[in-house]
Amino acid sequence: MLIAQLLLNALALGAAYALVAIGFVLVLNATTAVNFAHGESVVAGGFAAVALALFLPDGIALPGLILLPGVLALSAILGLAIGALAYLPIRDRPPVSVFVTTIAVGIIIANGLNATFGAAPRTAPPLVGTGGFELAGAVLSRQSLAIIATAVALLGGLAFLLQRTQLGRRFRACSQDPEMARALGIRVTRMTLAGFMIGTALAGAAGLLLAHQFFVTPADGAILILKAYIAVVIGGWGSLRGAAAGALLIALFEVGVAALASQPVAEGALYVAVLLILLFRPQGLFGETQQVRA
Amino acid sequence: MRSFPFFGAVVIVAATAWSAVMPTRAEDPLRIPVLVPITGFLSLEGTSQKNGAELALVGSKVAFSVEDTATSPEIAINAFERAADAGGVVAVVAPMLGTQMLALVPLADEFELPLVTVSGTAKITDLGSPNVFRFFPGDVVVKEAQARYAVEELGAKRPAIVYQTTAYGQSGRAELQDNLLALDAPPVFEEGLDVSVKDLLPVLTKVRDSGADALLLHLHSGPTALAVRQAKALGLDMPIIAGSAMHQPETAALLAPAELGGVCAETGSSPVSETSEEVRTFVDAYRRAFDREPDAFALGQYDGTKMVLAAIAAGARTPADVRTYLQTARHDGLAMTYMSDGTGNMAHSAVIICYDGEDRVPDIVKRYGNLTGVL
Repeated sequence: MLIAQLLLNALALGAAYALVAIGFVLVLNATTAVNFAHGESVVAGGFAAVALALFLPDGIALPGLILLPGVLALSAILGLAIGALAYLPIRDRPPVSVFVTTIAVGIIIANGLNATFGAAPRTAPPLVGTGGFELAGAVLSRQSLAIIATAVALLGGLAFLLQRTQLGRRFRACSQDPEMARALGIRVTRMTLAGFMIGTALAGAAGLLLAHQFFVTPADGAILILKAYIAVVIGGWGSLRGAAAGALLIALFEVGVAALASQPVAEGALYVAVLLILLFRPQGLFGETQQVRA
Repeated sequence: MRSFPFFGAVVIVAATAWSAVMPTRAEDPLRIPVLVPITGFLSLEGTSQKNGAELALVGSKVAFSVEDTATSPEIAINAFERAADAGGVVAVVAPMLGTQMLALVPLADEFELPLVTVSGTAKITDLGSPNVFRFFPGDVVVKEAQARYAVEELGAKRPAIVYQTTAYGQSGRAELQDNLLALDAPPVFEEGLDVSVKDLLPVLTKVRDSGADALLLHLHSGPTALAVRQAKALGLDMPIIAGSAMHQPETAALLAPAELGGVCAETGSSPVSETSEEVRTFVDAYRRAFDREPDAFALGQYDGTKMVLAAIAAGARTPADVRTYLQTARHDGLAMTYMSDGTGNMAHSAVIICYDGEDRVPDIVKRYGNLTGVL
């Protein structure tokens, strides 16, 4: 029965990581540049939940779920600011310029949170309440189940947005060929900013999901961006499905392999797996082979 | 032509040495720069350190300025060099981050400036520098207290150790291991955790399955709270004796009082638990000044800075005077009595605190005084 608990924990962690990684890929596809402030966006979402929780009455049911729309909205605004300040002014420069500006924005966010909330770890309200319930001998955590359900709902909404709406079709067109999209009358700059907003909103939601069970500190961003980066490398650069798969794989290593062997072994094994993927399938598990256009 | 650079170097070295032994100029106020990590992963502890130093210095005639050393040795070195260039510096409040301290010690020796810190890294006092003064009990002291409490007071025979894989964690683990072996209670399970690890259920299930009868933690603040919460949720039926991160009010604030019930921890001191009038006055002043609860790092740095001020009150006017005072004097601080062991370790006592499950203010249940025999 312990296996069921471990599997549930791994799925919950993987679901939250998947939101982070998919948000990362959305910005990557919108800009072809890496947003190094993405980890701090997750952290900002966690602190947004901590701050908004102050306005909730005591003993309210489903506190985290009530906060979710507010966190998504605030994070989207943050994404808009990151895109407008750290990307648009230098979008014609080499990608390394965007690396530097987003790193700078990430540092500003982390230090701003430190100055505002202090350096101590903080905890956000649970999504649906604490504790767990027993099912066939296994104690299942309410929060873990709620994390999985919330992440699935958010990713389902994202899939609907991208596949079934005009905004999604325009966004995908801009990701695939911005010049052609512009020639067809699509406002590419707006779509780019939409990518920042949606990607950062997902990151903020992940921050809320993680901040109750695993706490949040202003310095957590570097660890989270690393996980997103690894997930994307595993899944395939630019692939949304791949990012989700990579995130789940990271969580399985962190929980499953750590339970079988040890945490340092699990970490080492994860990086060996990444190296093997890069060696035998450099485009990642779900990536397409790159071809040069004639 | 080669003699000119050599001559220049001699002049610089001579000037540095001269400035170190000469009294400061009459117009320079005595100065104590406060160089601490107030951003980055150690900012919680670094802010406590800053607050402790600041509380000691505010109202004194000594000038001070605060500089953030963040998390890299380079930033600490730059901050130190800028601070040392100002006139009148008699001592430096130095960062608690071990890697920064290791980089600063050679500089302090070059500038002949005493460093007053609460860094726990054992090596900083093993370098043979006459300029390092540590006002927080090192792992040699607090880990003896942690191991002895587990074995002698709680009757543990088969303890498990879960530690951080950082330099801080490895240092504490080694001391715990040595002490448990000496107490005839060898650990039956040990595992290191990276600071990025989120879910501790895997390691806690292995602790449970190992047959351990006590869990000794040596983790940073967030992971300590996470371990306690998940251990309770798992129903881990054994005493938990945590490292000093557990005593920090910010760590306790992450957990419900019921989750804290029965959890104990080692620390140099626990200001919020003390009942003496002097410490209560310190706690009240700290709350008023910073709107937060003081911890052992704040009190240790407060005591250390007060000892430098005591040196100045006793007539010290140069870094050399202050160094001599710190090397030879005995100082009754709020947390404990301080005296150098000859290598700069000033703190030799520890306490064990336990939470009763009713609130987040722990009780001091055991005091281990003068564990090194220096006092």
